[in-house]
Parts: sequence; C-alpha cells; structure tokens
Amino acid sequence: MERGYIALVLNAHLPFVRQPEYPRFLEERWLFEALSETYLPLLRVLRNLEAEKVPVRLTLVLSPTLTAMLSDEVLRDRYVAWLDRQIGLAEREKERTAGDPEFARLALLHADLYTSARDDFTILYGGNVLSGFDYFYKKGRLEIMTSAATHAFLPLYRDVPEAVAAQVETAVISHRRQFGKVASGFWLPQLGWYPGMEEVLKAYSVRYTLVATRGALLGKPVPKYGSYSPVTCPNGLSVFIRDAQATNAVWSEQTGYPADPVYRDFYRDIGFDLPLDYVSPWLEDGARGFTGFKYWAVTGKTERKKPYDPAAASARAAEHARVFLDGRADQIRKASAYMDRPPLVVCPYDAELLGHGWFEGPQWLEALFRLGKDREEFRFVSLGEYLKLHPENPVSVPEFSSWGSGGYAGVWLDGSNDWIYRHSYKMLDRMMELAERFPNETGLKERVLNQAARETLLVMCSDWALLIRAGKAGAFARRQVEDAVSNFQRIYEMLCANTVGTEWITRLEKRNNLFPSINYRMFRRKRA
Amino acid sequence: MNIEKLSALSDEALLTLADKLGLIVPAGLERSFLVEALLEALAEDSEEREEALDSSERLEETKYGGTDADILETSLDSGWCSDNRYNETMIRLLVRDTAWAFAFWDVNDEEKAQLRAGEPGPGFPGLFLRVMEEGGETPRNADHFDIPVDESDLQWYINLPQPDSRYRIDLCCRAGGKTRVLARSNVVQTPRGALAEDSAAMEGGTVELLALSGFGELDIPPSEDRHPSRILSGSEVEE
Repeated sequence: MERGYIALVLNAHLPFVRQPEYPRFLEERWLFEALSETYLPLLRVLRNLEAEKVPVRLTLVLSPTLTAMLSDEVLRDRYVAWLDRQIGLAEREKERTAGDPEFARLALLHADLYTSARDDFTILYGGNVLSGFDYFYKKGRLEIMTSAATHAFLPLYRDVPEAVAAQVETAVISHRRQFGKVASGFWLPQLGWYPGMEEVLKAYSVRYTLVATRGALLGKPVPKYGSYSPVTCPNGLSVFIRDAQATNAVWSEQTGYPADPVYRDFYRDIGFDLPLDYVSPWLEDGARGFTGFKYWAVTGKTERKKPYDPAAASARAAEHARVFLDGRADQIRKASAYMDRPPLVVCPYDAELLGHGWFEGPQWLEALFRLGKDREEFRFVSLGEYLKLHPENPVSVPEFSSWGSGGYAGVWLDGSNDWIYRHSYKMLDRMMELAERFPNETGLKERVLNQAARETLLVMCSDWALLIRAGKAGAFARRQVEDAVSNFQRIYEMLCANTVGTEWITRLEKRNNLFPSINYRMFRRKRA
Repeated sequence: MNIEKLSALSDEALLTLADKLGLIVPAGLERSFLVEALLEALAEDSEEREEALDSSERLEETKYGGTDADILETSLDSGWCSDNRYNETMIRLLVRDTAWAFAFWDVNDEEKAQLRAGEPGPGFPGLFLRVMEEGGETPRNADHFDIPVDESDLQWYINLPQPDSRYRIDLCCRAGGKTRVLARSNVVQTPRGALAEDSAAMEGGTVELLALSGFGELDIPPSEDRHPSRILSGSEVEE
C-alpha cells in the first residue's frame, strides 16, 4: 500500500466571450492565448508522457462555458486566423532581431509556439481540442469534472434553490452531451460552498466536489484527518479539501514558483515596448496591450529586466517539480504519524496559470509526473480513483467558504460589483415566473423562453464581478452584465405583450449560442 | 493612449469623470491641467485596485489580459444598470462573510406617495432597517436593532453582530407614530468563525492534523468569541 497520495486538479475555465458581430474582439484573445499556451501544451504533456509510458493521473475541470467555446465553429475559425496573424508577427520579429542572437532565439521560440499550436489544432485535432482531452478521459489518464454552467458564485444564490439547481443541471447535461458520460465530479466555481450545497449536487448524481481549506476545517464536526482525507456529507457526497501548503507553493505571489527570477515575465511584452506603429496591427483598437511576445525574465522587482533564458527556465521548472514533490512527501510523512490510512494531498490550480500565466507551468507539470513515477512515498491519483480506494471517509459538512481573498464572498460582493445582484435576482424572479406561466410551450415561444434562461445564467457569471472589481476589462465585464439584463428584459416584455420579434431572437440565439439543449423549465419553482 | 482618449473627451465628460474619481476641480481650471490630474487619478485608481487584489487574484487576473485603456474605460463607462431600479417594494439580504451582509431594497413609487400623503407634515416618513436575530424556528421580534436610512438609499452593508447566527431585516417606516413593515428580507445565516468543537474534545491526532493542514495560517480563532450582550431589545413590530 502507498504511503500517501497526491491529487492534482486543474480548473480550466474562461467566461463566455464569443462576440461574432465584431470581426475581431479583444476578449476573444483570452481563449486564443489559453489555447496556445495552456490547453494545447497540456495535451502535448499528456501525449509525451503516454509515449514514454509514464503513469499519469490528473483531474481536469472543463467548465461549460469553455467547452461551449472550444466546440464553436466561429471561434475555431477565428483562432486559426489569429494564429496566422501571430505567425506573421513572428516572421517580422525574426527579421527585426536577426542581428541579435539572444533575441533572435527568443523570436524563434515564439514562432515555434504559434506554429506548433497551429499544427496541433488544425492537423492533429481537426479544430476540436476537446477530442484530445476526451481521448485521455476514455483512457483513464485524465478524469474530467464539470463546473457550474456560467461559473456562478453559488453561495450568493443559496436562497434561490432554482438558480443553483439550474447552474448544476445545465452543467451536468452539457458534460454528458460533450463526453457521453455522467460527470462524477463537480467543481464549485471559486470553491464557493455553503451548507446545503450537498443536497443540490447529490440530486444530480454528483459524487464529489472540492472546498477551500477554511470551509472544511470549520466544518461540523471538525474533520478528523484535517485536509488529508475528504469528508463525506451525511447524504453521501464526498468533499475533497484543498491543501494549503501545496496552494502556497504555486499561488503565492512572493514565494510561489512563478515568481522565480528566471521564468518568463508575463507582463513585459513587445506590445508595450516596441514603437506603436510597428505593433499596432497586432493590437486591438490601437491601444497598447499584450501581443504574446515576451522576451524578458521576471528578474525581480525592477524595470531593468534580464533577457529570458529558456534553458535556464526549463532547468528551474524541473527543479521546482522536485521541490514540490519533496514538500508533499514531507507533509505525507508527518501526517502519516497521526493517521490510520495514507494521507491525501489535494492540489487544485487554475489550469490557465500553467502556460499562460506561468509560461513554464506545463514543463513543471510534465516533470512532476516524470519524477513522481520513481517516488515510493506517494503516487498520483485522480479524485474519483481515490474514492474507489477509500470510499469511507469522516462525516462532516463544510462551512460556507471560498478560495477568494478573505475566504468568503468578499471578492464577488463589494462596492464595485454589488449592483449586479439587484438585477440578477430580479431576472431569476422573473425567469421563475415565466417558467410557471408558460409550462408547456413549443416552437418559437419555447425558443424565446430558452434564450431567457441562457441570459439568466449568463448574468450570474462570477467572472464579471471579479473583473469589475479588478478594473481590468471592467468595462467589458459591465457590458456583459448589462447585455444579459437588457436581453432578458426585452424577452420578458415580449412575452408579457405576447409578441415575439423573430428576427431579433434569432440573432440573439446565434450570438449567445451556448447550451443548445437548455430547457427553461428547470427554473420552475421548487415545491417544498 | 489614455492621454489621447482623455484629450478627445468633451469638457463636460472630463468633469463627470473627475467627479467620479473624487477630484475637486477649481472653477476655470485649464483643460490641459485637468487632463493631467485625471491621468494621475486613473493611475492611482489602477494601483489601488491592484493592491486590493490578493496574490491568487492577481495570478488569476493574468487570464484576462487587457489593454492600458481598460481602467479609463471602466471609469468612463458607469453603465445604465448600476442606477436602475424596478419600482417594487422589497428587501434582500446576502451574506458576505462572518460579520457583514449586503442588503438592497426599494419602495414602490406609489407606496411612497401614499406614505407621504399619510404624513401630517411635508416630507417622507422615516425609513429604517430593523435587523433581527432569529432564534430557532420563529422570529424573535424582541431582539433587534434599527438603522435609519434615507429615502434615496437603496443598499447598505450591515454589520451583523454574531457569526453562526441567523438574521433577517425588515424594511420599516414610522408613519402616524407607528412602525410599519414595508418588506421583509430572506433569512440568512452568518458562517461559523471558529472550530465547531473544542480542541480538548477532539480525537487523538486531529489537533496535530489541523495544524499540518495549515489551520494556524487561516487566522481563525480557536473558539467563537461571542458577545455577552447580543442585539438589544427594542419595541415590538406592528405588521
């Protein structure tokens, strides 16, 4: 029997940023950058490890909005066009840096990044990246979890069970439609949990979820093994607990691995450094911004950055993988002294951190599995696999909590973004009213009601509140909320007046085309 | 880029932005000085927002690469939603953390007019929020405190006295010498702020495992520090 387990969980999520009415749209770049630097490199890591028969157990969350965008034809075509523009910039950069070997090598690195992304995306996956993940899912090397439909922070909607259930139901259906399997695991956006959540999840046959350390340790009763084993709610739902030390090793801004001086600096980009007329064809709206071409190392808290050295950064990523595994092994050794079973260390991260935020992240991940295969102190498990090995766990119900600053709802409910909730609650109230008034509609009216349900889910997206708070892309986030509110309002008024603008609703369906099998009736009031 | 965008704005738009950013603009200030002051204020705003984020939020933010025009656009575009209301009498309560909840409310215009008409003098009858702690299944109307609010107020953050307790808020007014409840909020539960059990009663090894789980870094008190006097009792509510 192993002395302990490590469960790596990556949460891949982006909000729905599809804007087909514009030929190019800044926020769609979020998806394109994540594809190039995170999702495709992650698949590359999985392929490399499979080729070398390195055992891999990884749990991956694919959020419904991300899944919807990754399977969208418009965005697939736009991604290829974007890659072609990036490759064009790489060519310009190769010419510009030709006389400087240090930077010429870095221009080449970026040329390779976008060329291999294009090859993988178009040739290997035929534009369907999800098929790549599905391959490893079916092979059992990857376990895929789903998450709330639009990444709603669910504790803020706990008093409207219909809203929480709609987020879960839509996610579960979306997962089954995409992967042909029932989702056993459900990622709570921002790890937002409240007592009672277990009943909603269990009603949709979800077997497990994750919570923040704080929520678990404040649970009732206190979990016997701390964060070193999941807990089981009285209704049978298993709840895994985020490990605090593994979190800090990666997430800490000061001491986390991505802050190491040799890694590629995320913020320094030629979009800010080079003359505007040179870079402007690769920027949106003529404003300075990121191009994705970053030639400098983190270096430290200085403006005088050192040129990026890929070989040194790769060596450091491998070193950090070893340090990470040593740290977890040490935790397992210490916890084992107080446990009658092998301790489990659950390490959840945002997938986009690996590669996009932290360029060397995929190399670090690959090194973890390579180094991990020779370690005797632990082995990697997926969350579902752990439950098969240890189905009995201490009974406890975690307390309301999140992984956000402060540990509760403060990030998604503060002076900058609290105005959202007056509207989202009104929409929910009216959506439930519509579902009651029109229980059996078909044809055009059913389409209209389904679109109302989509807009209701979209307004609940927690990313908008986060972005409004942060200020960056705040105007865009605000517009997403306002669009959803005004689209819903127009639908509500149309239904009240019994007139439907066919052309408008068709246009809206084409724009916000996520969740094709949505059923507005899920918003019918729950009977006590 | 911001300087170009700011320079293209009308005087009126610049003054509105200055007001939003809390700048006091002396009468007759030259336009170029105003643009400069606004640039500084925007940079400060950006820094403040950045500082308000914790390290994980900052890392998460890297997912959403924007442009340097974003802060300006966020400040310029206050949107229509934030001031919008639905002309209904209601109140709702959302829990933020162990000590704070967010309440938002409204009073229907017609109801406001009726309340005004019922008053002997000019003006609007005093609105207030009655914060009530709920004990057990039935509301205990005796345990409450009142927070006066203005007619123009539509939302407040309310400091709730105790973690691990249930609260609701009534939106009330004093009309004709009597208290009238206009709307009643949902009941909320503040989260527990301390361990659910005394560490002395825990099974062997649990205390050590809690420490190894990072309990010490979570800034959680070992046991709930409850106030001896909770909500002071007040007058009964007439409904």
